[in-house]
Amino acid sequence: MLRLDLSAFLRNREGRKKKVLIKIPSDIKFIRKVSSKILKSLIPYNVDADKVFDIKLCAEEAIRNAIVHGNRSDKKLVVKVTYWVEWDNMNIEIEDEGKGFDRRLIPDPTVGDNIMKGSGRGVYLIKKLMDGMKFNKAGNKIRLVKHLK
Amino acid sequence: MAVKIESKSGLTVCHVDGEIDINSSPGIKKTFDSLISKKTPKIIINLSKVTYVDSSGLATLVEILKNMRTYGGRLRLTNLSSKIKSLFEITKLEKLFEILADEEEAISTFV
Repeated sequence: MLRLDLSAFLRNREGRKKKVLIKIPSDIKFIRKVSSKILKSLIPYNVDADKVFDIKLCAEEAIRNAIVHGNRSDKKLVVKVTYWVEWDNMNIEIEDEGKGFDRRLIPDPTVGDNIMKGSGRGVYLIKKLMDGMKFNKAGNKIRLVKHLK
Repeated sequence: MAVKIESKSGLTVCHVDGEIDINSSPGIKKTFDSLISKKTPKIIINLSKVTYVDSSGLATLVEILKNMRTYGGRLRLTNLSSKIKSLFEITKLEKLFEILADEEEAISTFV
């Protein structure tokens, strides 16, 4: 017998591909405002606390990288954050106006003397905590994917 | 974010409350710079009330450890939530830090 899960149907119908775009100046004070909106959008999905932690952390790391490294904290430049849920996957895209970078040049922060360095763990954490991470060719746009179930 | 500092059994125990992230890290660093400038020999940071740590927070803790090592000081972290402990495991920082289950154990075994 076919059973209709009405709440799942409504959730998917309303949440699927409904993208939200936020544009912020390149100032770290806006990071938390954006991550709070992303986390608020997860409330209907009853996501477990560890996954919420991962999404918050990785979104904030990626937005910070876009502001600080991508746009060099130039407040005239904008960071675009787009997020949406599709088939129980949280998708977050962060794009800056910088020249981009070659992510292959990021040293592994867990190896040798790098472990004592004061920076360089952001992208590594994203790679480990997200289910998907992809840069565009230029390196100024990153897409994060996290399974919500 | 707040840091409460107390002396216990001759040790300096710091209770951090809140999030250790890009916003709070400068304040936390300033607090510990003050302890480091006095060459405080043994510090325990109790993280039981810390709900969130980002890469800036991890970097701040690494900086505190590095600065303490310059004069032979020792740092212990206690009461990490399972999630925050997993960040130390993922980044291999668990090998760098002395991480203990709780404050009592850290005090009683700090020789």
